[in-house]
Amino acid sequence: MAEPRPAPLLFALAFASGGLLTLMVLFNGQMAEASTPLFSSLAAHGLGTVAALALITALVAAGRMDPGRIARPAPVWAWTGGLSGAVTVMLTSVTVNSALALAGTLALGLLGQVVFGLATDRFGLFGLPRRPADGRDLAALVLILAGSALIVFAPGT
Amino acid sequence: MAIFILMAFVGGVCVSLSRALNGRLSLATSPLAASLWNHVVGLAVLAAAATALAGGIGGPLALALDRAPATAWIGGPLGVIFVASGSWLISRIGAANTALMVIAGQMVSGVALDLLRGLPVDLPASGAGVALIVAGTWIAQSRRG
Repeated sequence: MAEPRPAPLLFALAFASGGLLTLMVLFNGQMAEASTPLFSSLAAHGLGTVAALALITALVAAGRMDPGRIARPAPVWAWTGGLSGAVTVMLTSVTVNSALALAGTLALGLLGQVVFGLATDRFGLFGLPRRPADGRDLAALVLILAGSALIVFAPGT
Repeated sequence: MAIFILMAFVGGVCVSLSRALNGRLSLATSPLAASLWNHVVGLAVLAAAATALAGGIGGPLALALDRAPATAWIGGPLGVIFVASGSWLISRIGAANTALMVIAGQMVSGVALDLLRGLPVDLPASGAGVALIVAGTWIAQSRRG
């Protein structure tokens, strides 16, 4: 790996990817409205597969990516991220139509993401580095989840 | 009701689980390759689900071709970059920080998008929410210099 990048830049990139997620939710929501939620997710994965293949082909052709790194030995479970993502789609498409509605689904989903992220860091699960949370991590967590709850449950939205 | 609460929570757990699994796969391959496999596997699972539970995709595909705006077709390609970036970041800033920063960015940009689209926004509540999120983001990123 090259020089370690400064943490603030990495945090800014992660924040920006949340903006990308907002656009994805908007566009995939347009597809779900025109057809069905299940088809919207299926189309996103299908077109994503095509886009990823095109991007990898272009990078390999330009000598910017080693084709030997497209598939290399890894534990069987490491290949199941797409399964986990598909399960999310199926679960949330049920709960948004329950009494929880979109706001409750979003809020509980954010909580689930953060709780599981903390457990992953605490125990170094999935071969990722151990990184127990400290007091400042928890302060940031409380502020961000409280702010998110205010937005998600804001009246009139 | 309890079952729906559990399902929504597990839905969130699966978001972080997916990012951790893709992060592990990207250590062996590359973030873009992990994103490719994430989409291939997800496509296979959802195609099986659509066939078994929803009677195939012919009907919804016809509806989508007829009614969906052009932007509805680019959510998937944007997702390739999103999944690759999550796989790359998780081993560098940790799973909880990645999840928190993505959530922070999603919430703040969501409010901005609603304002831009002229949708009703509860300004006192959403403004206070954005302020708390920005404060939390500042604390999170200033931890290591």
